[in-house]
Amino acid sequence: MEDMTDEQRKQLEEKLKNMSPEELAEFQKQQCIFCQIISGKIPSKKIYEDEVCIAILDINPATKGHILLLPKEHYAIMPQVPDEVIGHLFKVSKKLSQSLLKGMRATGTNVFIANGLAAGQKAQHFMLHVIPRKEGDGIIEVEEKLIDKEMIEKIKSAVEGKLNSLLGVEVQKTLTEEKEEDVVEEAPKEDADDEVSEDEDEPEAKEESEDEDQEEDSDNEQAEDEPEESDDKDDGDASLNDIANLFK
Amino acid sequence: MKCEYCEILSGRGRANILYEDNDIIVAIKDTVTTPGQITIFPKEHYTIMEMVPEQILEKCSIISNKISIAVFESLGAQGTNIVVQNGLSAGQKVPHFAIEVIPRREGDGLNLQWEPKQLEEHEMEGTVSSLKEALKNLEKSIKKEKKSVKKENPDTETEEEKEENYLIKSLKRIP
Repeated sequence: MEDMTDEQRKQLEEKLKNMSPEELAEFQKQQCIFCQIISGKIPSKKIYEDEVCIAILDINPATKGHILLLPKEHYAIMPQVPDEVIGHLFKVSKKLSQSLLKGMRATGTNVFIANGLAAGQKAQHFMLHVIPRKEGDGIIEVEEKLIDKEMIEKIKSAVEGKLNSLLGVEVQKTLTEEKEEDVVEEAPKEDADDEVSEDEDEPEAKEESEDEDQEEDSDNEQAEDEPEESDDKDDGDASLNDIANLFK
Repeated sequence: MKCEYCEILSGRGRANILYEDNDIIVAIKDTVTTPGQITIFPKEHYTIMEMVPEQILEKCSIISNKISIAVFESLGAQGTNIVVQNGLSAGQKVPHFAIEVIPRREGDGLNLQWEPKQLEEHEMEGTVSSLKEALKNLEKSIKKEKKSVKKENPDTETEEEKEENYLIKSLKRIP
């Protein structure tokens, strides 16, 4: 783009203006370096691939093991990405995260998305970063500050209506806008949690029993034979529990 | 152990809830990186991402995108960062898995950017092979887990497994 004369630039702008959305998408794809990586035209360090996405090493990583997870389809920003693709990407990022914990001996991971220029997005191809972390590496420092109730209320009333309509909470369309907000506030509470309380017992109990395992491991070695279930899964679960147990 | 998110659920912080259904909560925390930050977490207490069932993780991620869109439109954000802090060393502060949606504006003074590094070719190669290896082992253990779930069917339960289940149940009973 930088090498073009004004005349050429004008021509290009004109061309872009006259393109159909499909043609424009195709043009963006041709310009996108990550689409060329995905098609294999540009070589990359591939870690994982399936029909929806591909995971490669970042060539300018935050640290060793920094992974980029890309949908194969070209989406410039996150709002364009269909739900099922987002869901799939996060499921894969969970696997990648677990591989970093085990394969790179990371003690934590960040899944990070920069959505828009203002958020630090550099490429024109939507992607997830999965970054291995170690204590005190200072890679992403997120400092949190206390906000007051008034601010929380302000944000809540600004976002609530839009969010609820995006999430498909039913709103009576005949009502005026102001009244709509009232309805929206009540709507989600109606279908709250009968099922959840039923399901709750089991997983919680399981977690407890895993905790027991750990305590017994350190307290007395003889008990080691007992917790077959967690031993069975594989040795990696022990390290996951270690990471989880750091909080205690 | 106190969990800030479970407390939001149990009542103390209910005023901060923006949306909830059977599985998840969308809420505004008392402490944020920047006003407008919104947090989504499963109702069930899972400490880290590796413990969250796929279905719940999927739901959280899809809703994080909707939150992001809502924040664009209703708070005039010019971008968003979607962040999972997984583990203490990754900056996780509450022992309950969550996805943070952080609204961004040009020149907002937030710095969530890392210093890019250059790696040697052999370092890259080594990293690729150890990650592929770890992924392979992970897939294996997932398959194994699926098999063992099938085994839990009471009709096919062997004596040995009954004994095992008894031991696990008795472990659960210890307060």
